[in-house]
Amino acid sequence: MCALPATQFPGPESEPTRLFAPCRANCPLHIDVPGYLAMVAEGRHTEALQIILDRNPLPSVCGRICLRPCEDGCRRCKLDDPVAIAWLKRAAADFGSFPPARPNRPRPERVAIVGGGPAGLTAAFDLAERGFPVTIYEAKERLGGMLRYGIPNYRLPDNALDRDIDYILSHGIKVVTGVRIGADVSLEELRGENAVVIVTAGLQGSRPLPIPGADMPRVLSALPFLEAASRGQKVDLGKRVVVVGGGNVAMDVARTARRMGAEKVDVVCLESAQEMPASNEEVREAHQEGVRVHCSWGPVEVAAEQENVCGLDVKRCLSVFDSEKRFSPTFDEDEVERFSADTVIFATGQFADVRDLGVELTPRGGVIADAESCLTSVPGIYAAGDVVTGPSRVVDAIAAGHRVAMCIVRDLTDDPRPLANLMEESRVLGEVPPSMKSKLETRRRVQMEKLEFYEAVETFDEIEAGYTEYEAAREAQRCLGCTTGARLSREKCASCLTCMRVCPHNAPGVKIGGFLYFDAETCHACGACVSQCPAQAISLEGHSDVEMVQRVERALYEPGFDTTLAFACGCTPNLPALPGSDTRQITVTCLLRVAESTALKALQSGASRIAFMGCVEANCRYPHARALVATRVESIKTTLHQLGMDKAFIVPRESQEEDVHLR
Amino acid sequence: MIVMRLKPIAEIREMVSRHRHVMLVGCNTCAAVSLAGGETEVETLLETLRLASSQFGPLTKFSGAMLQRQCEPEFVEKLDLESCDAVLSLGCGAGVAFLAANEGVPVYPALDTLFIGAAKGMASWQAECSACGKCVLGYTAGICPTTRCAKGIMNGPCGGVKDGRCELGDRDCAWVQIYDRLEAQGRGDQFGDLNVHKDNSINSSCCEWDMGPKAGESR
Repeated sequence: MCALPATQFPGPESEPTRLFAPCRANCPLHIDVPGYLAMVAEGRHTEALQIILDRNPLPSVCGRICLRPCEDGCRRCKLDDPVAIAWLKRAAADFGSFPPARPNRPRPERVAIVGGGPAGLTAAFDLAERGFPVTIYEAKERLGGMLRYGIPNYRLPDNALDRDIDYILSHGIKVVTGVRIGADVSLEELRGENAVVIVTAGLQGSRPLPIPGADMPRVLSALPFLEAASRGQKVDLGKRVVVVGGGNVAMDVARTARRMGAEKVDVVCLESAQEMPASNEEVREAHQEGVRVHCSWGPVEVAAEQENVCGLDVKRCLSVFDSEKRFSPTFDEDEVERFSADTVIFATGQFADVRDLGVELTPRGGVIADAESCLTSVPGIYAAGDVVTGPSRVVDAIAAGHRVAMCIVRDLTDDPRPLANLMEESRVLGEVPPSMKSKLETRRRVQMEKLEFYEAVETFDEIEAGYTEYEAAREAQRCLGCTTGARLSREKCASCLTCMRVCPHNAPGVKIGGFLYFDAETCHACGACVSQCPAQAISLEGHSDVEMVQRVERALYEPGFDTTLAFACGCTPNLPALPGSDTRQITVTCLLRVAESTALKALQSGASRIAFMGCVEANCRYPHARALVATRVESIKTTLHQLGMDKAFIVPRESQEEDVHLR
Repeated sequence: MIVMRLKPIAEIREMVSRHRHVMLVGCNTCAAVSLAGGETEVETLLETLRLASSQFGPLTKFSGAMLQRQCEPEFVEKLDLESCDAVLSLGCGAGVAFLAANEGVPVYPALDTLFIGAAKGMASWQAECSACGKCVLGYTAGICPTTRCAKGIMNGPCGGVKDGRCELGDRDCAWVQIYDRLEAQGRGDQFGDLNVHKDNSINSSCCEWDMGPKAGESR
């Protein structure tokens, strides 16, 4: 007997491997970005903050100054603008509450951390969370490292940094400030008192380039200058300042100089405009604040007039790198220029300043640490962060902090699990397929309110105001929900194919045998299929009916006598006046996420009536959901009508839309 | 697939009003597929009845359970009725009857069973078969006159057809459709070949069927 040919369906045969959204994959910390954006979209900031804190203990910091590799990966990049992931992280930190420290089982091994910058704080947090008694030794008077003394307040104000640090320290971490390990206390002494020591001292050295005239009094280097500014000290710069360097630090220095009263600030850098390492955004903002950037010039000499700085002589730089991409600048000696200046500030790189620690160093002065174990040449002494790797991003320093902490957990507890690589055996979601692209509405990024540049250069006040809660919800709703989409429970699926009939992107398909599968590339987690599945076989990450019921019960926990419970789509800016003595609101990504049973349950849990505040947007991100919501509304109406409870359900016709895009 | 729909809530409430603990039982086969008796519908009806009970009495406890199919002993055996004194079945008539035969408590239907049908799209079905026991679709180009003709006429349209529509006004005339499709398939000359005397006794003569190796006949 021959087998009958099976009906052929296209589709994957094997189960897909673990999937990562590109934003999450790009982040060195692999924060569950789609997960927390979904929470922000529903106004659940504390839950969002919890998701962020699982991987990043410095959300207020990274929400402001992270260089955002996540946004480069955002699948919206090719549609309109990437989702403002960092700004939404800030919103979660601004509006959410930091959770209390979890109790843990104390461990005996004491840990000392040298340097309270991002890497040290992260390592301290990880180890304290696991019960190790941790002490941070900081040479300066306050914690934060470059975050506090290197990054100007207009980008990262102290109160934001302190919020994160207070949270980290709430885990029982001891802090000793004003002590320089190596000079005041030897590393050996510290090693004797502790089971392990971690060196996360960062790059504290910065000095002018060794060119003639660089030893004059009004020739400064970037770090001491920025540190003075962060302490609120006024540095006498004169009217004209020249900044040497092409990185973000140079931009920080130039903009800080503007705020200290310099009228003319020129940035001179070796690289061409394309090669400049500073981020485009920083350069643009500096430009708007009146800073002029001059590319492809090499400094020759600080010019002096009667022993005072009068300018910087430069010559034309023809190329910075040789054919093998090594630093090897070439110049045109004939094309020279003088930028007049009262002060010259060098922002030409930083170096580690840890010679007195007594561990083995690289020729450039960094600590040599094994890439695998994070161990230095001295047993029991670990090192991580910029002091090992050289200059890097804040997220890289945090990642290094995690890594060294996990190495220590492994070494002290013989448990290798903490070192498991999240990305191992995973696949990153590809681009948005063309079939889906054509069906997605264009929605530009919600802009954030900022100080006008003429106001900004007057003060060190923070430039970016942060999103309001409504703006944050609106922006978070632009997220395509990559990898948080439909998941099928094959045991429950009745193969009714309703999901295929409601999905606008054809994400569900049928495999041989009538089994359904979902294509993660084309699913944008709208929840239409989940809402219509009769067998409750489909689930979404971060959403379940059980959780919805819990939210309802929480909202109705406080007793009321004539309470209206409004389920509002995140696009609804503010509720119109509703009947009843008090109104409670639950924001949902889409009203489809409110099951009929949830709505009916609310009426048993103490609500006198429920309201469905639908999407009022013409360009709703889930246009296809409108008809399905209308059907659900009809269904609830019919049910309540049959019970003679017509007045228990309100669906207002229209509510006002506030256009946040026009600002 | 068998297509069902929910009865009016008042009728359901009336049926179960004398009981103190009612178990709602869904069916994850036809009833789920026809969006009438899956887990979602069980939960919705559960909350509806709970709400009605809490608002208007009598105070009745409602619980819910799912069966893969209500018409199979192996699945039904797994049903745990706890302390309930009645079952409200969200299955087809067969499910209700089978539960009623196998459980020791009264079983009530929450759904009305309509027909055997095919999906036209989202939540939309076409009645295609009435399970008459003597299939004539081979002669009628796959259109069942028993199901789709309002009168169930077996030999051509009646006088009530106008412009291809049935005089009831709710459907196309089945016989006009049969004629058109036979023509389209190049077998218009077969129209009228349906010369069998429909044996309507088949599905009424016996209600227990044994398809085992002994015989393909009724017991």
